[in-house]
Amino acid sequence: MSKNKMFIKRRDGRIEVRLNDAGRNIVYEAFGHVVAAERDPEHDWHRRLNAPIDPSSDDDNPLAMLTRQSQISTNAELAYMTRNEEFINEQEAWAWLTTMQIALRETAASNGILNDEKWNSADIELRSQIQTLQAFLFELAECF
Amino acid sequence: MASVKPQRVETTSSQVLTDDAVETVRPWNVLVWDDPVTPMKVVEVIFKRIFGYPNAKCTQLMLTVHNEGKAVVWSGQKDIAESYCVKLQVAGLQSTIEQP
Repeated sequence: MSKNKMFIKRRDGRIEVRLNDAGRNIVYEAFGHVVAAERDPEHDWHRRLNAPIDPSSDDDNPLAMLTRQSQISTNAELAYMTRNEEFINEQEAWAWLTTMQIALRETAASNGILNDEKWNSADIELRSQIQTLQAFLFELAECF
Repeated sequence: MASVKPQRVETTSSQVLTDDAVETVRPWNVLVWDDPVTPMKVVEVIFKRIFGYPNAKCTQLMLTVHNEGKAVVWSGQKDIAESYCVKLQVAGLQSTIEQP
């Protein structure tokens, strides 16, 4: 039954990553984008990653903003560093899940997919890219 | 026999509390907003990990986000709400705080 699974939780708590080269390339690209977006203010995703915490206020709490930036970067860098591992521990798996989720949401948002209508009318290649990330995320989420 | 007259105590100030005197702290809400691509299972896992809610509550909150476009996932002090909001954003969900 576990033959076709891409992520398998082992008895020792580690998660086995069974992605093929194409799958590894997709996560590699996704993780790389999030690392770049946090570092580069000109990156297409950067502004949305720094969205307001309290939209009714002119200024967010700088400590909360710094915490967010630091935690997104830490997770993205950990995911990026472990992208070729065959087994990842729970902390690394959480970094993979959160970084892939950010990449999924930002891929959709940067292509204007902000509601179901836009999703239904998106081009096939983009939908396929998003569906692949969704499939990875769904399976990885099953390991928690 | 001496008579004892009751003494009248004059009061000048009212003891009634005004609205200003009763300080109520309105809670802050942590909101999670729907998006068309995040898998439902992922939302549930994130709620469970961040808030430690039981599975049924995570599912119910996820369905509220999905069906109504948003859900209040936690209410309370501002600093804690802010901290939860940051955790949800770090996990890749669209989240904000508000004081209704």
